[in-house]
Amino acid sequence: MNEGILLGLETAFSIKNILFVIFGCFVGTFIGMLPGLGPITAIALMIPITYGIDPSSGMILMAGVYYGAIFGGSTSSILINAPGVAGTVATSFDGYPLARQGQAGKALALAAYSSFCGGTIAAVFLLFAAPMLSKVSLSFQSPDYFALLVLGLTAVSAFAGKGQFLKSIMMTLLGLMLATVGTDQASGVERFTFGKIDLLDGISFLLIAMSMFALSEALMSIIRKEDDGQPNVTPSSNMGSLKISKSEIKEIAPTIARSSVLGFFVGVLPGAGATIASFLAYGLERNLASAKEKLKFGKGSLRGLAAPETANNAACSGSFVPLLTLGIPGSGTTAVMLGALMAYGIQPGPRLFLDNPEVFWSVIVSMYLGNIVLLFINLPLIPYIARALDLPKQLLTVLILFFSLIGVYLVSFNAFDIFMMAGFAVIAIALRLFNFSMSPLILGFILGGMLEQNLRRSLTLYDGSVSFLWERPITLTILIIAALILILPTLLQKFRQKTAGMKHNNNADKPILSAQDKPTSELV
Amino acid sequence: MNITKDKLGALFFFLFSISYGYYALQIPLYPGEEYDVFTSQTMPKLYAILAMLTSAVALLLSVIKDIVTTKNIDDSAKEPKTRFDYLGWTRCAALIALMIFYGLTLEPFGFILSTTTFLILGYLILGERRIKILFIASVPVVLVFWAIMTQLLGIYLSAGELWG
Repeated sequence: MNEGILLGLETAFSIKNILFVIFGCFVGTFIGMLPGLGPITAIALMIPITYGIDPSSGMILMAGVYYGAIFGGSTSSILINAPGVAGTVATSFDGYPLARQGQAGKALALAAYSSFCGGTIAAVFLLFAAPMLSKVSLSFQSPDYFALLVLGLTAVSAFAGKGQFLKSIMMTLLGLMLATVGTDQASGVERFTFGKIDLLDGISFLLIAMSMFALSEALMSIIRKEDDGQPNVTPSSNMGSLKISKSEIKEIAPTIARSSVLGFFVGVLPGAGATIASFLAYGLERNLASAKEKLKFGKGSLRGLAAPETANNAACSGSFVPLLTLGIPGSGTTAVMLGALMAYGIQPGPRLFLDNPEVFWSVIVSMYLGNIVLLFINLPLIPYIARALDLPKQLLTVLILFFSLIGVYLVSFNAFDIFMMAGFAVIAIALRLFNFSMSPLILGFILGGMLEQNLRRSLTLYDGSVSFLWERPITLTILIIAALILILPTLLQKFRQKTAGMKHNNNADKPILSAQDKPTSELV
Repeated sequence: MNITKDKLGALFFFLFSISYGYYALQIPLYPGEEYDVFTSQTMPKLYAILAMLTSAVALLLSVIKDIVTTKNIDDSAKEPKTRFDYLGWTRCAALIALMIFYGLTLEPFGFILSTTTFLILGYLILGERRIKILFIASVPVVLVFWAIMTQLLGIYLSAGELWG
């Protein structure tokens, strides 16, 4: 493992890769700050650039964009109460009130320090957890992978939120259906190509990611009417001091420790991620606070700001565990990263640790580097980056459309892709209007091929019998976990309703918004 | 019965699943392949069945919910309303048409001309009328992008089939 860490350090700390991390964090912060644009869009926009560079640098760049986008989302949450990312919605609960009290600088600094601590602690966990899990998963066979893929696909629906379960399943299935377009890899038969040569290779994941996220989000921002006129922007020149006192550090230190651990483990769960982690951490802190402190929540509590910020960054690192070790993305963002890795010809999973150790370790090490960059470079630059919020929306929207279209075109050099993107953007807008989430779709689309391959192999291995589902203990265990993950949220909800019904006391406490109740646009 | 987003969404998805299932049955098989356990039709058929079931359940649940809860209350009134404006829709449609136009012109007219036109028209659609801004936010962007791609990264960008 030490050799691996050294290899990771050597790769991540090369001048070129340090520059990629800085660039990634900067661009990610900029895009994440724009309301409506999240890390998936930011990463999708970066993919065409990463095709020209080596896989390690590409992944380092994308990881930098990921943290940057989360950090940028926090900035817009704090400054204008408009979270760019669902994972930073909880940040606005206390961050925005702080900014309204003239302490925007302090809120931003606190967010940055919390993110740094959360990310760093989680990166250390990842350093130990990922290789261990990789070694265990080396014994996995096709049936186990099939079960894991089922787990990944169902978990994203299970955590989708109230009233969204069936819709998420439908979106996952739509993604799986889209993945079947093109020539079948095993038999060479054309499927759903309708005689079009352009569809023989299937639909590129980049095209789907760009049109379903970047294009549709940009177009939706035009359709959606701005609420309450202009947002209350805290002027970038009037942010107040960035300093945090010793007593304040003392106050938030236990919060950061708790939220880091919670965030990391929630992030590891397939389908959970930064959004759920941030809401859970916020809820936990509020529950642990004394009655007096509880009153401060929602009005500018430092603990209320530190908890979600720590947890969402820790969850970002945690979500890399299933991606790097099992090849199963836990969220929409890591699904896009998986697609990018596969485009490089690299198959994430237990073999990644052995076949491409430089990619495996450099991504882990770069996470630490990314957190340092965010703290020491992005934070002082925030007043300047925040000016992005003043840029005219009409210019930004058109530029996003251009970069999305040209990004896909530069990979295929086929104008047909531009027409397909326009078509998929229309479909995505319609789906968004019907309150369908896009993350399960991209997850289904990327995992579709793997799911088919592994089921085909499993059935071949077992002479066409599906007995592998219960004969192999690992497969059975994973499938039971998948079933539990599917059932548990519903059972818990029913249990909560029952207990709430039994308690007839009118508690004065304001109910906390949970990730399950919050109509978040996308789970990152 | 109210027509809600949930019902319409489930209904459309159900209809889509049926057509997907129909085309899944049209996937050609090699002679004798129909006796194989796993063919190129297997997964599409499985997905179609699952999608039909899920959307049917979703549709049924929303109808049941409607019957149970909407005796007095208008269900659509409970849905969080997203406000949309007519101008936004027109602009969105115009931008989608512009994207198709860009796809049509990119290769015949070349990257520089088609992209500059795309950006200027896009800004105009979204209400930008200042000539100076229209120019600054388009021509330099296109030229810098073109220079980075062609001169720095060595990526070919169409010069325009019409110009030879």
